[in-house]
Amino acid sequence: MAAYRADEDYDYLYKVVLIGDSGVGKSNLLSRFTRNEFSLESKSTIGVEFATRSIRVEDKIVKAQIWDTAGQERYRAITSAYYRGAVGALLVYDVTRHVTFENVERWLKELRGHTDSNIVIMLVGNKADLRHLCAVSTEDAKAFAERENTFFMETSALESMNVENAFTEVLTQIYHVVSRKALDIGGDPAALPKGQTINVGGKDDVSAVKKVGCCNA
Amino acid sequence: MSGILFHKYGGEDLDSYYPIRPECQADVPKVRFKARAGKTLSARRWHAAFSEDGHLDIAKVLRRIQRGGIHPSIKGLVWEFLLGCYDPNSTFEERNQIRQQRRQQYAAWKTECQNIVPIIGSGKFITAAIVTDDGQSLQDSNRDSLDQGWHVDGAISDKKVLQWMLGLHQIGLDVVRTDRSLVFYESETNQAKLWDVLAIYSWVDNDIGYVQGMNDICSPMIVLLENEADAFWCFEHTMRRLRENFRTNTGMIGVQSQLSTLSQIIRTIDPKLHQHLEDLDGGEYLFAFRMLMVLFRREFSFVDALYLWEIGFS
Repeated sequence: MAAYRADEDYDYLYKVVLIGDSGVGKSNLLSRFTRNEFSLESKSTIGVEFATRSIRVEDKIVKAQIWDTAGQERYRAITSAYYRGAVGALLVYDVTRHVTFENVERWLKELRGHTDSNIVIMLVGNKADLRHLCAVSTEDAKAFAERENTFFMETSALESMNVENAFTEVLTQIYHVVSRKALDIGGDPAALPKGQTINVGGKDDVSAVKKVGCCNA
Repeated sequence: MSGILFHKYGGEDLDSYYPIRPECQADVPKVRFKARAGKTLSARRWHAAFSEDGHLDIAKVLRRIQRGGIHPSIKGLVWEFLLGCYDPNSTFEERNQIRQQRRQQYAAWKTECQNIVPIIGSGKFITAAIVTDDGQSLQDSNRDSLDQGWHVDGAISDKKVLQWMLGLHQIGLDVVRTDRSLVFYESETNQAKLWDVLAIYSWVDNDIGYVQGMNDICSPMIVLLENEADAFWCFEHTMRRLRENFRTNTGMIGVQSQLSTLSQIIRTIDPKLHQHLEDLDGGEYLFAFRMLMVLFRREFSFVDALYLWEIGFS
């Protein structure tokens, strides 16, 4: 695991949002990544909550400011504030509840409607430790991710499986997107260039994703 | 309650009123509230504040609450007055009548709800959707035991009914995550009680419906008041003060108007802090969203949040 670093000491600051239906495990993914904690007694998120963690990407320190959001439809009312300035997103569903996967499409539409087209998106099938209850096949999710040109991983916040990988992958991809363009903008390390088209990778990236699904035949 | 030692000068273990599951001790905030002799409103002082026919000397009671809170043994009784469920100038007799009427009203609403969704009041509750957005009944063979015992015939066409039904599984998803460190909520019956009250509230106040966070507001009422209807009415009175926070319109949740007030206050009293927050892009004060939405319930221990609330209510 990458070393946890002092908050002030970073080269880049990226805003990443965690979205998906209520109860899919967004908050536990966040606490696993930022504090290496998991709670079976976790509470519902009210509005929006935040956490940060810095990791090393290549020779730079990247600080992720992660916005964890409430899953309830009603909270979509503050959508614009959630998404403003986000350069990455983890779109989470629960592999044991198919309906949360069905709703991914709705989430993706909202996300794309409110963010820059260069945003790095990873589809995340959480609770992959519950193999016997799995209701969404890895193949279906992967096919969806390929079609929608997003990254994909199955995770377990409980077993700490792929959580580090998922966030690190998203942050690394953002870094690549930003650094490709950063040469032009110089001084401000926190800024993502606006109004420029940046290719955030295609099918090749998706197929490189690890095969550790709970529903692999 | 048995096994509680009363020390006249504080030091009483208040946790025994709202016991925490041993495995959760490390996860909950430390309790700071202590009942203090001569400051905290005690059962004895409370009962002495009533006249013979039941008029309450509320001014005296309020002074004490503001100084030291309410002793846990009488919190539920006192809260009914603090929340405005009962007029201090009423008599025992009048309040009894109101209580009976309210219990009947609650029972009537509950029956209405039961007729639509029979699992209401059964001691069980649902965590998975029972209808689709367009009103089709969902029959899922994979349902766990929590979700058995309901059935819906045909498509739901009534908009009010459909809106209400669409929110029921969300209430369930939140109930299973509400104050689970308390021994009280190890009981499925108590969880179902919280679910019932929230379900019926969202039926009655369909303008606001159910919004995440109401569970945190409602939970203490379920713990403090044994009778479910009485707990409902305490929650309903609390919501009279808070419901605008939960109102959602396009692009806005009610509590955000409080956040903008907070922002203006900080800008006036501490412009440097305000500027700092602006620089961090915290200008909308969203960091305070949860604090104001559930009245600091997540920042403090259960007991301390109740103390804060009763000072606020008094």
